[in-house]
Amino acid sequence: MSFFDLALFKKDRGRQILLLIFLVALLVPIMDRNAYRVDVLVNAGIFMMLALGLNVIVGYAGMLNLGYAALFAVGAYAYGILNTTLGVPFWLGLPLAGLAAAGVGMLLAFPALRLGGDYLAIVTLGSGEIVRILLNNLDGWTGGPNGLLGIDHPTLPFGYDFGVASAPYYYLVIVLIAALIFALKRVECSRLGRAWMALREDELAAGAMGINLVWTKLSAFGIGGFIAGMAGSVFAAKQGTVSPDSFDFVVSVMVLAMVVLGGLGNIYGVLLGALALSLLPEFLRGFEIYRMLIFGAAMIGMMLFRPQGILGEAHHRAEYSRERRRAPRIPMKPSAGPTPGAAT
Amino acid sequence: MSWDVFFQQCVNGLTIGFIYSLIALGYTLVFGILQLINFAHGEIFMVGAFAALFIHALLGALPPGPLNAVFFLPLVLVFAMAVCAAVGAAVERFAYRPLRHAPRLAPLITAIGVSFLLQNIVMLAFGPTDKSFPDLFPIHKFPIGPGGAGITNLQVLIWTVSIGLMAGLHLFIRNTRAGKAMRALSDDRDAASLMGINTNRVIASTFLLGSAMAGAGGVLFGLYYNTVNFHDGYLAGMKAFTAAVLGGIGNIPGAMAGGVILGVLEGFGAAVISSEWKNVFAFVILIIILLIRPNGLFGSRVVKKV
Amino acid sequence: MSSINAGRSRSAASLSLLLALGLLGGCASQPGGGTEASLSVIKIGCAAPLTGDQAQIGIDHCQGVQMAVEEFNASGRLAGTRVEILKMDDQRNPAQAVNAAKKLVSDPAVLGVIGHFNSSCTQPASAIYHGAGMTQITAASTNPDLSKQGFKTFFRVAATDDVQGPKGARFAANQLGVKQLFVIDDKTTYGKGLADAFEKEAAALGIKVLGHEGITQGDKDFNPLLTKIKPLQPDLIYFGGIYPEGSLLLRQARALGITAPFMGGDGIATHTLVELAGAAASEGTYATMVGGDMKKVPSAAAFVTAYETRYGKLGQWSAYGYDAANILLKAVETADAKTRAGVLTAMRTVPSFTGITGSVVFDEKGDNQNQFIGIFKVTGGELVYVGPAE
Repeated sequence: MSFFDLALFKKDRGRQILLLIFLVALLVPIMDRNAYRVDVLVNAGIFMMLALGLNVIVGYAGMLNLGYAALFAVGAYAYGILNTTLGVPFWLGLPLAGLAAAGVGMLLAFPALRLGGDYLAIVTLGSGEIVRILLNNLDGWTGGPNGLLGIDHPTLPFGYDFGVASAPYYYLVIVLIAALIFALKRVECSRLGRAWMALREDELAAGAMGINLVWTKLSAFGIGGFIAGMAGSVFAAKQGTVSPDSFDFVVSVMVLAMVVLGGLGNIYGVLLGALALSLLPEFLRGFEIYRMLIFGAAMIGMMLFRPQGILGEAHHRAEYSRERRRAPRIPMKPSAGPTPGAAT
Repeated sequence: MSWDVFFQQCVNGLTIGFIYSLIALGYTLVFGILQLINFAHGEIFMVGAFAALFIHALLGALPPGPLNAVFFLPLVLVFAMAVCAAVGAAVERFAYRPLRHAPRLAPLITAIGVSFLLQNIVMLAFGPTDKSFPDLFPIHKFPIGPGGAGITNLQVLIWTVSIGLMAGLHLFIRNTRAGKAMRALSDDRDAASLMGINTNRVIASTFLLGSAMAGAGGVLFGLYYNTVNFHDGYLAGMKAFTAAVLGGIGNIPGAMAGGVILGVLEGFGAAVISSEWKNVFAFVILIIILLIRPNGLFGSRVVKKV
Repeated sequence: MSSINAGRSRSAASLSLLLALGLLGGCASQPGGGTEASLSVIKIGCAAPLTGDQAQIGIDHCQGVQMAVEEFNASGRLAGTRVEILKMDDQRNPAQAVNAAKKLVSDPAVLGVIGHFNSSCTQPASAIYHGAGMTQITAASTNPDLSKQGFKTFFRVAATDDVQGPKGARFAANQLGVKQLFVIDDKTTYGKGLADAFEKEAAALGIKVLGHEGITQGDKDFNPLLTKIKPLQPDLIYFGGIYPEGSLLLRQARALGITAPFMGGDGIATHTLVELAGAAASEGTYATMVGGDMKKVPSAAAFVTAYETRYGKLGQWSAYGYDAANILLKAVETADAKTRAGVLTAMRTVPSFTGITGSVVFDEKGDNQNQFIGIFKVTGGELVYVGPAE
């Protein structure tokens, strides 16, 4: 196959479609000049990043996190504080915010090391609230309820300031999402990714197989936190201001719903879920007051009728595809179980 | 802190603590049987407060007087408890029962969905602003000690009703067949059903009882603070859950104790440290308890068999 | 990839494509940047919390704007042109406020906006309006920092907290003879700003500030805090915050036996405070309010009657929305070119406006130079005007 065959994913329909979507996405701000609509897509993109991050914690590692908005807030405030007090520019602030959120995420993982399931959910919920109240009350550092003002927008080396235009943020977000998809797909197939899935399926067995549970759990929260931190810094840079109001419990629940809606552990499902739920309020503009009601009903409905999400959970998909794969199976001893891990 | 202030803080703390206990009972009952944290339980409490508001509006404004406490209050209480019991049972039947064997994430997400649903139904029905909850009788303050500390007749009422309900529940669980069935189910669900206990019926009645308790808590809450808002369920629910965990989740006397302890601790924390950190206080207690003694103060150490 | 995965990917892809196309296709793309409005329709925006717990004041505000617009259209002052309102709900959430602002500026027929309501929302939104050169008049955002950003597009009808707070303090010192007091705030942009300004002036006037604590908005139980305050025996308790918490503070304070009067700002200057707290508990409470007694202004009477016929009970902020809208409409009327730039120039060059809440003269920062603060007192279950605050 020539280079172009490879580049255009001639042999891989799935990737071909992805490439097509990517190209279409790149063209959107050019075809549609309405800054508001592009802005809506940028906000959707930030939520897509958040959904990818939460997917690591909830979807891959199976640990329920109801306080994800706290990590989002840490990222936003980290960049905000660094920028307003030390003048740190956005491109440096982006990874630093990620690291800050990763650190806090790992700190919050601490109770998770011993608790399971439902307890963890409540603890993360409590932590989320604690972070929000801290941000609101610690005036000296965070500006209190006013929040931080005058956060710089990103600038490019040749003097171009993103300002309040929508298109530059759109491209920034697309690039970040693409990078995240690439990185997460790699991690999914790596040892760490498989350790997460083992952890999710059966913690006891995973530990018995020699997986370092502490490190596995910490890294899930760390990586999930890093992604949230990055999303937070983009959010702060775009808004120019941050305040605690933007990071309440509803945000955590929305991101969780996006992950669940799309299918736990399924990157594309999660992205789709995030896009759908972000755009939904735009279509329900006239029904503002019913929005949360419909949302609640939809969550119940999803769980009752299709708990695996729109595109299905990743590990179910893997099992399903493994059975259908036409590659000949090396005959194994009759008692051997299915091979672990999922390859897509 | 002078003795007067100390007493007053204790009295106030105990009052809100008893309300937390009533709500916490619902959490603990459901968790004991289903190992499920009923996220929507806080909203049931809120529904109770609004149900009381509704019935009061329906019956028209009666001139306040001491007789009101005798006739009116029990009526409002029973009505609210009945409404909450019905809502709780309905939630169990339609949202939780189908998911009884689903992976653990599903009922939790559903619970969040139910929570949003209930909140917004109430908001759409009653409006988003604070609603004024009427005084059913004039408030008298009975002084304690020489200084300004005192306890109001309303607070005495809250204490009596709460203790009465909790005692009733305790006796019910301990002495009746239905109560025994609940205890059996929380020990071992499969064995209980093998013994001929109708699992579905017992679980439904657990929800009925727990929700009724929360409903009573809602009425008392409304009477005490005189305003209700559709948002009240969230925070009160979180604190009641903390109380249940504090006492040992699954443990009924523990939930009662936990509520009272939390109410007092919270009050003193707010007074000594600062009011603005009051809510953080509750969450921090929760995390600390889960870290150092996850079974709570009165919970038994459950050894997990592999 | 196996065909099954490709199948799933395909459905994902097509769904995403559909969504994206739906977004684009459903609406014809409009050429951006044009600021010339057609002669038949001019739009102004009204941004405020229209849903959520502060919905009432937002709705009052926008109804006032609506009345102004309807009167304007009926009067025919601008021949051949109809003015429309675009109501935007920001749910007192800054991120939503940014969304609302972006939506307004992306519609070229919108020439100005009355909004937002909460200072925390006006803040980020003002940057967006500034970027688009669109006039913004806020009737209610009182945080002083808003006009210090150097935005030529920002105008404010309401007084600022750095005026309202100190005037309240002066009233307390001079008229009430307060010697020591306690300050509470609700830790919001508005409440804290107001309380801080009050406290600073009170201390400067020689009043002893016994303490300053914060409460959380949405909280119900203030007994611990009030129990702590009681033995300190303040002459006055100042509350920087809004009526839901204010009414609870009043009720619980009286139940605990605290007899000191309360004072607050415009956030508690509403009849709803009396309704929620009860006439007995709220009796004797003072509140500073921007503007004086509307009942004494003759033109206001007509407004009040018309409003109450149309919408029911007059809200606290309806009159401010009404005045702000009239200012904007006057600018639209006198502008040479019916564009955003034209309206902005008109705003800056017309010397003064007289509305039912008083006369307005803008300084270069956009603040109202005539900041009149009146004191109201709850007497017999009603808010009664006492006099100017000084």
